[in-house]
Amino acid sequence: MSLKHRLLNLSMHDPAQTVNMPLIVTPPEDNDMVLSELKGGANPLQRTNDTAQCDPSLCRIYRYTPMPTIVVDANLCIVEVSDSHLTLSGQSRAALLNTCICDITPHMIPVSDITSLYGAIRAAISTKEIQLIQDIYLKDSKSHFQLQVTPIFQDRTLIYIVFEARKMTRGRSEASDHHTHVNETYKILVDTVKDYAIFMLDTRGNITTWNPGAAILKGYSASEIIGKHFSVFYSPEDRLNHKPEKGLMMCLRDGRMEDEGWRYRQDESRFWANVMIRPIYEFGRHVGFVKVTRDLTERKAAEARLITAFEESSRLKTDFLANMSHEIRTPMNGMLLALSMLTDTGLNGEQLEYASIIEDSTSLLLQIINDILDYSKLSSGSFSLTSDIVSVDSVVSAVVRNCKSCLKTGVELSSSMPSDFPQAVKGDPLRYRQVLQNLVGNAVKFTERGYVKVSTSFAIDAEDPTLFNISTEVADSGVGVPESALNTLFTPFTRFADSTRRRYQGTGLGLSICKSLVELMNGSVGYRPNLDGGGSIFWFTVKMARTDILAPSKPLAGFLAESSENLIKKLRDIAPRKNILLVEDNLVNHMVMLKLLQSFGFERVDAAWDGAEAVRLVKQTPLSYNLVLMDISMPVLDGLEATSQIRSMKIDVPIIALTGNALKGDAETYLAKGMNDYLGKPVHRNHLLQALWKWLGT
Amino acid sequence: MAPTTATETVEKPPKTEAPPKLSDMEGSIDQITFEQILEMDDEDDRDFSHGIVFGFFDQAESTFEKMEKALKEKKLAELSSLGHFLKGSSATLGLSKVKDACEKIQHYGARKDETGTNDEPDENVCLVNIEKTLLECKKDYKEVEDFLRRYYGESPSS
Repeated sequence: MSLKHRLLNLSMHDPAQTVNMPLIVTPPEDNDMVLSELKGGANPLQRTNDTAQCDPSLCRIYRYTPMPTIVVDANLCIVEVSDSHLTLSGQSRAALLNTCICDITPHMIPVSDITSLYGAIRAAISTKEIQLIQDIYLKDSKSHFQLQVTPIFQDRTLIYIVFEARKMTRGRSEASDHHTHVNETYKILVDTVKDYAIFMLDTRGNITTWNPGAAILKGYSASEIIGKHFSVFYSPEDRLNHKPEKGLMMCLRDGRMEDEGWRYRQDESRFWANVMIRPIYEFGRHVGFVKVTRDLTERKAAEARLITAFEESSRLKTDFLANMSHEIRTPMNGMLLALSMLTDTGLNGEQLEYASIIEDSTSLLLQIINDILDYSKLSSGSFSLTSDIVSVDSVVSAVVRNCKSCLKTGVELSSSMPSDFPQAVKGDPLRYRQVLQNLVGNAVKFTERGYVKVSTSFAIDAEDPTLFNISTEVADSGVGVPESALNTLFTPFTRFADSTRRRYQGTGLGLSICKSLVELMNGSVGYRPNLDGGGSIFWFTVKMARTDILAPSKPLAGFLAESSENLIKKLRDIAPRKNILLVEDNLVNHMVMLKLLQSFGFERVDAAWDGAEAVRLVKQTPLSYNLVLMDISMPVLDGLEATSQIRSMKIDVPIIALTGNALKGDAETYLAKGMNDYLGKPVHRNHLLQALWKWLGT
Repeated sequence: MAPTTATETVEKPPKTEAPPKLSDMEGSIDQITFEQILEMDDEDDRDFSHGIVFGFFDQAESTFEKMEKALKEKKLAELSSLGHFLKGSSATLGLSKVKDACEKIQHYGARKDETGTNDEPDENVCLVNIEKTLLECKKDYKEVEDFLRRYYGESPSS
């Protein structure tokens, strides 16, 4: 095959070939020029022979030179090989002579691959200058070589090419031209970077260079890692999913690849890394990748700390609110109590008026504090619903009755409900009432004239026929909601109505509590403008279960306005005929309660010291007790369990809980467990009096 | 004689002053509640309230002992129930500081925070909190005990 053809066949793009990045110093020039120069020469072979015959003694130079040398003629056919080369390659002279240099195994020349050999030959011929192929590594002898390719021209005719292999004592060659200088500069730069791992991969992903940053970040020294595949930095799962290989493919396709993820150090600890890979091309041929890895663990940890700090501050806020409201509620209750006693002391008209103002303000404050407590409980997720029999009808009428007193003159409050509405459903009556009370309370507050209408309807749930969807709508002809406030209507602490003028009081929590409560009851709440009258329509739906049991007929706690003087008189009249069971394990409390009851004129008070005793006493004489006062936490059997057992005997004696747990939710649990009422400890005389009258006197 | 008496009063501070006033203990004793107990006494003696108050002393001291034992044995539930128990009687007497401390013990024992609002999963945190609160509780108790003993005309226990 002629040189022309061989050169034409030279392939610069051979993706299957791995190259250890030989540095071919001078880039090749235009092929045609080279070829035309070759054509222009006279018979090169003739000349070669002529020269060879000129002075045969000079041939000995190449035969006995200690530097392994091959001399080829213009057809790349080997015409001389030095003894030193035969020693290096382990071949016989006969095997090499008259063979084309392209046909012998590359590492025998020595050169890493045939492509770089072609490249060097082309460059040497076209530039007529010496070419140097550096960094040739021979696995057998474990040594590095550089191959000097010297074209020998006679005038413009190529007569020989001399290949001289020089063994490198150091790992790298020391070429001193500009290119190397630039490379050295970059190498120093890269070696100075300590915060980034910067290293190179060959086309297959094997690591070829390693900077100190990489050593620090990944824990491998250069000698440990060079030659290994870069997938060692990945987790086993990533390796199984061929993530490293896919990354390289993506990088080749897109020209770059960036990724964030866990990478592993030599000691198997992991760090959160930002990885950037770019392919490297040399003379248009892909020779490998450069990879830059940054450790973002700190940044990621900082982000996590920020999130934790945010959650913590949010929790602190909730705790703070809960603590504050809890602390404020106690003195508030004291004030209310003292106030109710004050109004019993025979005040004159003016004093009564002031007292009622104080009472109104205190009740409002208490309501706000309870709202905040509810809110903080809801937002901390520690809020529970109870399941009880609900008479929606009576809840609605109670709310309507309750709100009537706040109606502005000329506003009509009415409620409607279909006649086939179920008499009783199963759900949380107090929560349902709380939502309704809030919506109706708002409507009443914001309506100066016209009407407030409450309408309730029901439908059987489409998915679960044992459930009812109860929809309740509160329509008013009040001020309505401005469009700007629609988005934040159910957001905590936002208020829109006349907040600057403080015309309407409140925390801005009401609707957000409603939203949370309704969602707890698997429903939703919403707003739409009232087209008939220009006010608002607030609606909400809740899911409640069907039931056949009827709701208890006696309404729950109501404010008794009767003076305590009167009550004591009336109670003393009936007390001697009533039989009370007192269940209390604490001696001190027991004694005080007995004394209190005696002071009211009760003569028959039986004592039980724990729940089991109470159940036994009730069982013995089922009809004898008119009322049970029941402590909650007691040894043997607690008050709740005792109540359940008494109720399971179908005995409906009123049971009043005596509780030290003043939290709203607790009290509601007691009611749900079948108790009829509750008194917080310390039991105040007036409260006891009112509760006793409520359950015995009527 | 008059000047001598005056000197003596100055030299012997409140101990002999009889009887101390409830309003002096505003922070520790809820006046309304305690007066409610006093109102239950017969007109001519204080037998009822005396019995109740001294009954409470016995109860409190034995409860503190039980609490200390439970604390050593790290029985949180037991501590919570003891806290609840003493909370009940201290509340009835209006001993608000003692009551508040007992309530905290009740909450801590139930693996909650001070107010009972949030969970406290770390048992050791709960125990440390209880230990601290119990110390305060006993201090507050000692204060009202001394006061009440003086109130009922006894010399305070050392």
